[in-house]
Amino acid sequence: MSTTPPQGWTFVPHQHDGPAAHDRSDDHINSPRLHNGVVKSPGLATFMGAPYCVPDRDAIRAVGAKICFLGVPWDQGQIVRAGTSSGPAGIRDASTQYFPYMFEYDIDILTFFKVVDCGDVPTVPGNNDRSHEYIYQYITECLEGGAKVILVGGDHSVPIPGARALADFHADGKIGYLHIDCHLDSAPDWGGITNTNGSGPARALDLANCDRANIAHMGSRNGLNPKDWVDFYIDNDIRMLPMTEFVERGVEPCTREIFDIAWNGTDAIYCSWDTDSLDASCMPGTTAPECFGINAREAIQLARIAGTYGADILEISELSPIFDVSQMSTKLACCLIYHYLGSRARTLRDRGQA
Amino acid sequence: MNPAKEYAHLFSPQGGDDAENYRAPGQITFLRAPHVALEVEALRAADTRFAFIGVPFDEGNVGRPGCEDGPREFRFASQEYFPYWFEYGVDLQGSAVDCCDVSMPKVNPTLARERIYKAVRIALDAGLVPIICGGDRSISIPAARALSDHIGPDQAMGYLHFGAHLDMADSWAGEREVSTCALARITELPNLKAENTAHIGARNSFNPKDHIDLAKARDLRFHSMFEVLDRGIGAVVDEATERVWDGTAGQYLSFNLNVMDASAAPGVTAAEPGGLESREIMQVAGRIGARKSVSLIDISELCPIYDVSGTTSKLAVCVVLRIMAALAQQRGDTVDPAIKRPSAT
Repeated sequence: MSTTPPQGWTFVPHQHDGPAAHDRSDDHINSPRLHNGVVKSPGLATFMGAPYCVPDRDAIRAVGAKICFLGVPWDQGQIVRAGTSSGPAGIRDASTQYFPYMFEYDIDILTFFKVVDCGDVPTVPGNNDRSHEYIYQYITECLEGGAKVILVGGDHSVPIPGARALADFHADGKIGYLHIDCHLDSAPDWGGITNTNGSGPARALDLANCDRANIAHMGSRNGLNPKDWVDFYIDNDIRMLPMTEFVERGVEPCTREIFDIAWNGTDAIYCSWDTDSLDASCMPGTTAPECFGINAREAIQLARIAGTYGADILEISELSPIFDVSQMSTKLACCLIYHYLGSRARTLRDRGQA
Repeated sequence: MNPAKEYAHLFSPQGGDDAENYRAPGQITFLRAPHVALEVEALRAADTRFAFIGVPFDEGNVGRPGCEDGPREFRFASQEYFPYWFEYGVDLQGSAVDCCDVSMPKVNPTLARERIYKAVRIALDAGLVPIICGGDRSISIPAARALSDHIGPDQAMGYLHFGAHLDMADSWAGEREVSTCALARITELPNLKAENTAHIGARNSFNPKDHIDLAKARDLRFHSMFEVLDRGIGAVVDEATERVWDGTAGQYLSFNLNVMDASAAPGVTAAEPGGLESREIMQVAGRIGARKSVSLIDISELCPIYDVSGTTSKLAVCVVLRIMAALAQQRGDTVDPAIKRPSAT
């Protein structure tokens, strides 16, 4: 599939070669020395300024990457409005405003995880099934390459092939599935179609090694949750933690509860995080912005707690830059990933697993 | 309570041929304050407390451009408010003058900083509290130098900053006076000690490692947003103001609008998620007012081109007016409740 795999993880700080190269190994976590660096001269627009790596298991293993960023510019699996195909480009651009050093955790997440950007999954216009097949294949390459995956959509049909890839990768074990979303997304089908962005958890339950006791939903609210979606959780005895409960109990106990469910006796988990779980005031750039959601502070706390548990695939979906205001949504989405990785790295380092 | 003063401006318009119209502002100044030239004698003669000075400077900015339009939008948004603030029972009319904008040369940041320094010195020499409205965050560097020199080497100065970023780069791409270096330069002032300096609101990863290292090396007390979440904004501001006002002869209150959550303040150079909510500004203002005095205020990085429905410019005005109002209340400069709207004739 690929050209010659690169030997080892190599990284050019601020993506600049040439006469003004920032060539010291710590240039990417400090203020720039020679030019404005990634802030105004991002060079190649990769996520976090990470090196590009072909999405191929041998190549990923050869560079030793522990985190692969994978974009999914796909918005034809959605039932509301288009725009999320620009999500991966939006978050890559927003990441130019951040350093990979996170003072809250005192860690350089880029080097810690040897993060690579594997580019975008190719998609096929008008063909949800074939596009999903590519998503499945590309995620499988990353997992087989020994990496965890940060998946950025793209519409919320992405977890259907995504969770299937994780389930098949752990075919001899069990997986957990989390769905953090304004919407319950548990339609058995939508107008006869079974793999739209309204059926993520329903398809997760179809997986042979994903038990209903390891599935949970958090953040549901408002009136785009038809009755059959609610019935799915009641009939299958799946934990559904609505926004009213989240507000009453607070971010920490709720987040701990759903991650405890997903990790109870499982070998891996898929965490699907829809940006519309956040309040429309801090996340206007999403497919279906909704009021009464999780605010930016709580979301960053959620990401921090999630980092103490970990996830094999963390997916951020429905990011829609065309509806954004002042880049607040793409920057927040970026922060969720950065805080998750910062907290994850800190947790691993404190356990001596660095 | 001044018996010689007129009070019609406290009330709804009366109507009639010569009625002042809320929607016809005339000359656009900060809070409809009179324009007074930036000269010591003229400012002394104005017999007021605050001197509003616009600083349309964007050449110390490392990120998104646009904050040079900040002062203009700030003045415009201030037109939507009365000088009367019921929560504090005060009347701010007459407490400020507008000194227009500092004239900014193009592509000569050194000269621009000299002019900012001079403007702040003049207002301080006239006995007023300058309110400088940026412009990018680097305007704090010459302004802090002006206050430091004004106080003199024998007295201590305090510095309190609200912002998402520490701005503790010793240099940035070889430059030493750009916005990301602001606090690095200010903490070098001879009469500003670490124990009188505080920073509130740091979060997310536009705080590279050298900023944290320099902050630690200089014993800078910074309260991160995680600390604000754990302890509450009130307790954090109380601790910070205690440091900044402890034994100091002059205090600099510096407010970068990116301390606010991006949802509350989208019109900012580097809007950051996870920050303060607008309602928390009410708590902040009250606690600063409790200190009874402040020597210099700046508000920076208002960037109207990214704003939505004037949200950010109005919030910026609220920050400044609430601090002014809380200070006036603490001084006992309140409106006599017996004053009622005059009957129409």
